[in-house]
Amino acid sequence: MTAATATPVRHRTPRTVGVVPLGFVRLMRMELRRNAMPWVLPLIAALFWFDSYRPSVGASPLYGLRTFWNLGQGHTILDFGPFVAGVAAWMGSRDGRRGLADLVTATARPRWAGQLATWAATAIWAVAAYLVFVGVMFAMYARQGVGGSPPWWYVADGAVGVAAFSAFGFAIGVYWPSRFAAPLATFGGFLAMAMSSQTGFGAADGWALILPTNSNGSFNGNPQADSGIFYHWLPDLPIARIVFLGGIALFMLGLTGLPARAGGPWLRRVAALLAVAGVALAGTGVRLAAGARVAAHGVIISALHDAADDAPLAYTPVCGPAAGVTVCLNPAYRRWLPDVTGALAPVLAEVAGLPGAPARAIQVPAAYIDPGSGGGPPQKITLGGQPPVLRLSLGQLDMPGPCGFCDRQVGAAGFANQLRLLFARAFVATGSGLGNPAQQAVQAALLQDAGIPFAAQPRLAQLAGNIPGPKPGPATGPVYAAAGRLATLPAAARHAWLAAHLAALRTGRLPLRELP
Amino acid sequence: MNVDISEVTRRFGRAQAVAGVSLETGPGVFGLLGPNGAGKTTLLRMLATVIPPSSGQVRLLGRDPGGHGPRREIRRRLGYLPQNLGYYPGFTVAEFVEYFALLKEMPPRQVPQAVATAIERVDLGGRARAKLRTLSGGMLRRAGIAQAIVNEPELLLLDEPTAGLDPEQRVAFRALLRDLAERATVIVSTHLVEDVGAACSQVGVMDAGKIVFQGTPDELIACGEGTSAVGDAPLERGYSAVLVSARTAALVA
Repeated sequence: MTAATATPVRHRTPRTVGVVPLGFVRLMRMELRRNAMPWVLPLIAALFWFDSYRPSVGASPLYGLRTFWNLGQGHTILDFGPFVAGVAAWMGSRDGRRGLADLVTATARPRWAGQLATWAATAIWAVAAYLVFVGVMFAMYARQGVGGSPPWWYVADGAVGVAAFSAFGFAIGVYWPSRFAAPLATFGGFLAMAMSSQTGFGAADGWALILPTNSNGSFNGNPQADSGIFYHWLPDLPIARIVFLGGIALFMLGLTGLPARAGGPWLRRVAALLAVAGVALAGTGVRLAAGARVAAHGVIISALHDAADDAPLAYTPVCGPAAGVTVCLNPAYRRWLPDVTGALAPVLAEVAGLPGAPARAIQVPAAYIDPGSGGGPPQKITLGGQPPVLRLSLGQLDMPGPCGFCDRQVGAAGFANQLRLLFARAFVATGSGLGNPAQQAVQAALLQDAGIPFAAQPRLAQLAGNIPGPKPGPATGPVYAAAGRLATLPAAARHAWLAAHLAALRTGRLPLRELP
Repeated sequence: MNVDISEVTRRFGRAQAVAGVSLETGPGVFGLLGPNGAGKTTLLRMLATVIPPSSGQVRLLGRDPGGHGPRREIRRRLGYLPQNLGYYPGFTVAEFVEYFALLKEMPPRQVPQAVATAIERVDLGGRARAKLRTLSGGMLRRAGIAQAIVNEPELLLLDEPTAGLDPEQRVAFRALLRDLAERATVIVSTHLVEDVGAACSQVGVMDAGKIVFQGTPDELIACGEGTSAVGDAPLERGYSAVLVSARTAALVA
């Protein structure tokens, strides 16, 4: 050791960079460099890969369906949260565990400020990793041609959730500076997520919508498929969740500044205010979610809703011919255009020239509720207007290819039959039901001519599980007898009979006995 | 006076660790001797503003550490090496010292130079980039000393600073102490009386929470002369004699 004299240090007010003191910036840099979070990122990456990404690629290539599992049901937060809480607890307990509590207390910088630097570095690592992982996932989705736009608001939810988990774990570490703080916080994180998931699965409305694992908001059934395609991802619920999770984070950070060692009275008052503000924010978030209601395009919270979000997204449709009828879809559904035109061509050819036969077919957005049906179940295919337009709500159907968590994968033939059945129902105007016997018989004859034998028809509705309405019985009886007679007529005769009787058939006034 | 305390006590529940200590000291090295449990570490923790006294008056560097503002000013001018110093294993020596320089709110522009100087002064210049977990116990102690002196403190509190240092390092450390003491008040708590003899201008002996002797090392030596006190060196005999005398007086009282 040398006794060389050094120039005495002159103490003065630390210089600042913008509003942040330069010393704090340097502390942050050091904390970022020596943070424990990077050590646990490989584990989180593996979890993310196996739990968040891989299951999602089994779903149809639409953002709403791909992100249902990881962002809607919150598996990405589940992968991150508990471990982030554990590492944050490890960092929060660092000074106590390492026997440095006295030393850091005896320094001029308030201990809370030092702790906030440690927490901030931990949170920055965790949130940055979350954003990078999700970003990589979206990049892979983009390479796979996933249609639509990502649910950025739900990504923001997750980022704030990760920050909240880090604050939760950090507070545990500060108050319990032991080597057991990290496993305790990890377990606590898992427990919170497990309870959140259970509540989220069960509660479709009310306060529980605030839970980031509750998919019963904008991720609820097939209508989510068209969020980010035909209309915006509604930010109402994600904003409420951000308010809630941000409140929890503030509360936890405020708690860490309350002990006498944390700093002077002014700083501790700030900490107390932060804690109170956090509770108020979290409570506000819960109250907002409790007032949420489901609308056509997702969950709306009146206090947060911006009418601009209701405006449809502009797009240039992709079109193709089907038996002389132009079929146009949203470009997000481009890959299924051949399936749709191929499915519709036989039935469109059958009805060509008949009154009410569609002049064109367009895709319409799927909706949670159908404003036109008085809140009833939305129709998947409708036919109407002058000239008649066939409206396809493909977002409510299981498209060909992988469907993720549906009961079974839908093949091209199954999809085509499903579409033909729905078309036949729309054409004879039975809506969601089977219709009267005459309508049933005409439907059956149309489907038979489109290549679906009578024997397969009763099963079709059961196989296509998401086709609404009561299931038909066995392919026997007077309905199928009449359908058989109609189907065996020469095409010209059948065409002429349909042209003469369609109006009565659609109104439901045609009895079965009047079929040829 | 950089340190001016009077009738300071500190209780932990029913146990009284410090029982009415008064002390005034200015620039120079003040050695604090005493047996285990005498209250030295508690007294130093109070002087380091880590814990407040249960009663009594404390003024450090002309300020009352009871107020937040003055306490912060004191801490900016304070160097402290606790008895059981922990460390962040992933930090390098330079980072560890820089970390505490920043916590002491040193002007950020001066930190790199001050860190380099402090590390050189404890002879760890060659290991500045070594991770703390790779250092020996003695090197860790020197890293601890470096963080204590990085801000050129006006009040330096060292609790068992030479524990774990080899003889050569102890000699060098004493020279460093003498140098620091030219401008600062250095209070060294130690079991090693040779440290006191070599580096301290003033010495106090604590026992049972009280300062039972305060004077120069020569005066402490004089206390042991002509007595049957045990010890291999004059200072040790003086120290033993003071303790025996204090304990006898306490029994009589």
